[in-house]
Amino acid sequence: MADAAPLSASRLAGLWRVLEEPLRSPDGPLPARLAQAAVSWSGARCGALYLRDKDAWVRAAVAGTFEPNSLDLPDPIPGEPTRREGALWVPLSAEGEIHGHLGLDGIGPEETADLAPFLAIVLGGLLGAHRLSRLVKEADFEVRTRLVELESLYDLGLSLSGQLDIAALGDEVLFRSISLTDAGKGTLILIHEDGRLLLERSLGGQLLSAEQFASWDVPEGEAVINNAAATVPTCGVRLASCEKCLVVPVTVSGRRLGVLAVADKESRNGSVLDFTPADARLLSLFANQAAAAIETARLHRAAIESERIEREMELAAAIQREILPHSIPEIAGVELAAANLPTRHVGGDYYDLFPLSRGRLGFLVADVSGKGVPAALLVSTVHAAVHLQIDEAKTVVELVTRIDRHLRRYAATRKFLTLFFGLFEPDTGLLTYVSAGHNPALLLRRHGPMARLNSTGVPVGMFPDATWRQETVTLAPGDLLCLYTDGLTEAVNVQEEEFGMERLSALVAGGRDMPLKLLCERVLAEVADFAADMPQYDDQTLLLLRRKEVES
Amino acid sequence: MSEICKVAAERRGDVAILSTDGYINNQGGEEIARQAYTQLESGARALVLNLEKTRIVNSIGISILIEVLEKVMDRKGKLAFCCLTPTIDKTFRIMGLAQYAAIYPTEADAVRAVSP
Repeated sequence: MADAAPLSASRLAGLWRVLEEPLRSPDGPLPARLAQAAVSWSGARCGALYLRDKDAWVRAAVAGTFEPNSLDLPDPIPGEPTRREGALWVPLSAEGEIHGHLGLDGIGPEETADLAPFLAIVLGGLLGAHRLSRLVKEADFEVRTRLVELESLYDLGLSLSGQLDIAALGDEVLFRSISLTDAGKGTLILIHEDGRLLLERSLGGQLLSAEQFASWDVPEGEAVINNAAATVPTCGVRLASCEKCLVVPVTVSGRRLGVLAVADKESRNGSVLDFTPADARLLSLFANQAAAAIETARLHRAAIESERIEREMELAAAIQREILPHSIPEIAGVELAAANLPTRHVGGDYYDLFPLSRGRLGFLVADVSGKGVPAALLVSTVHAAVHLQIDEAKTVVELVTRIDRHLRRYAATRKFLTLFFGLFEPDTGLLTYVSAGHNPALLLRRHGPMARLNSTGVPVGMFPDATWRQETVTLAPGDLLCLYTDGLTEAVNVQEEEFGMERLSALVAGGRDMPLKLLCERVLAEVADFAADMPQYDDQTLLLLRRKEVES
Repeated sequence: MSEICKVAAERRGDVAILSTDGYINNQGGEEIARQAYTQLESGARALVLNLEKTRIVNSIGISILIEVLEKVMDRKGKLAFCCLTPTIDKTFRIMGLAQYAAIYPTEADAVRAVSP
């Protein structure tokens, strides 16, 4: 090897002048410009520049015409300027590290000593600075990318907490998952609790279908990576059109809500990269946030529905309160008591009292099928029908028939009701009644056993052209008539046992001499004690009528 | 939004407007770069990138946009973005793109700002 010539300032300035223009020029990558400048300055026929790429030296640039492979990096790689097969090889170093190798062909051996030190120092320094600059840029890019990830998680949390549109929410989660993992494609599938599909979104191609997911026994836990194939290792499901995948189940408290899958992590050179544990952590965080947001949206919808039902119940209860008598009328020769306990789930109980001409009393107890506003509206219709028809009908059975026809004509909903209508004449004790499918009324004789007044026909509104039988019975002074709805007899306790007719009969029998108001309160109290803390779902209505004893 | 990123180019004097539709990833970024360099070669002095139909950008796409930006700056040209979603707007600001390329709400604003 030739001895190194001393560096001359003028020689260095000459090299710099040659380099100045290519360094300023924006055209082409820096290695190509450096190789070209080195060939130009040295007078070589051609040259090549090798740079480190991970663990290998690769040819980064060539300058001039050259024979293919004529400037392949020699083996062993020179650590100092050397000549091999006519070419000059110069390691380009700075700060004790070799950043590249320059091969020059077509220059004489005598020039080696003049050229090598200049090229080694100047080009080595430039390459070192270039590499350092690239590393700084890459580190800066990496830090900013991590910041974007953090900001995305924060933004996603904020956006999802206020996002009740599941489709928009799904897009938000899917798009961010794909972009922040650099995936080429992704799919998000969400399902309802009952297994119905809630949402299916894909970008770049569908990785799996809802049907595949439905048959997939998704394990709880972290994201799973498969960088070897497109198969999800935990379940064997094969994803479509991809090489590598990252999949995470979307679950809340053990309930599976869906799956989030991304595939084929991109690189700048177009190859498919492996997903990393950091990608898996990020995707798990997105899946967790998505699950929480979906659950929030579901609970919100449930709350709205609950509120709607609550408002409906309040409206129904208000209708019912307005329809029921506000006070018990005073009728000579009759003692009356009545009560109605609406439940939270408003039913359709209705009772009414009509003081009529010649001291008579009309009364009814009715129980409409169904609950809520539809039932309350039907009660309202019945109330209107009775009040309209009571003065028109000549008999009780005609009144019930008119009510039936009215309902069939005007009621908005196709529902029916059981009804007991009685017309009582206190003077004679004559009770004329029709029981349209209603629970048996209890008639407790002042001196005698308890009788039941059974149904005399089908419920009102049930069948077209229905007819009813009108019955009469005479009440002696002291006789007590008890009308009720099934909310009383079918009240259940914690053992799911019904209060029943027998208990009601016994209570009424025990109240033979009791003021009816007290008896009414006692019956309701006993039923409440029986049911204890069990919620009741049907109204409870009780109407008691006693023919007063004749005062001597 | 398109599955494969499409890029439409429109020229208004010295300003080239590139409108994207789809995911700006490696493929999308390469297509933007190809069209941007074509426009620069044919004399465009300024580029406006309209991302109205793009809702997603990954880091590869951003690195290519940075390369395009550097190329434009080397040529003493101008580059502006417009019609970004809030997410992309924030991403570009964090990634440093907004330091060298202004972001405008509308295409008209961007074209006006970069016009010589």
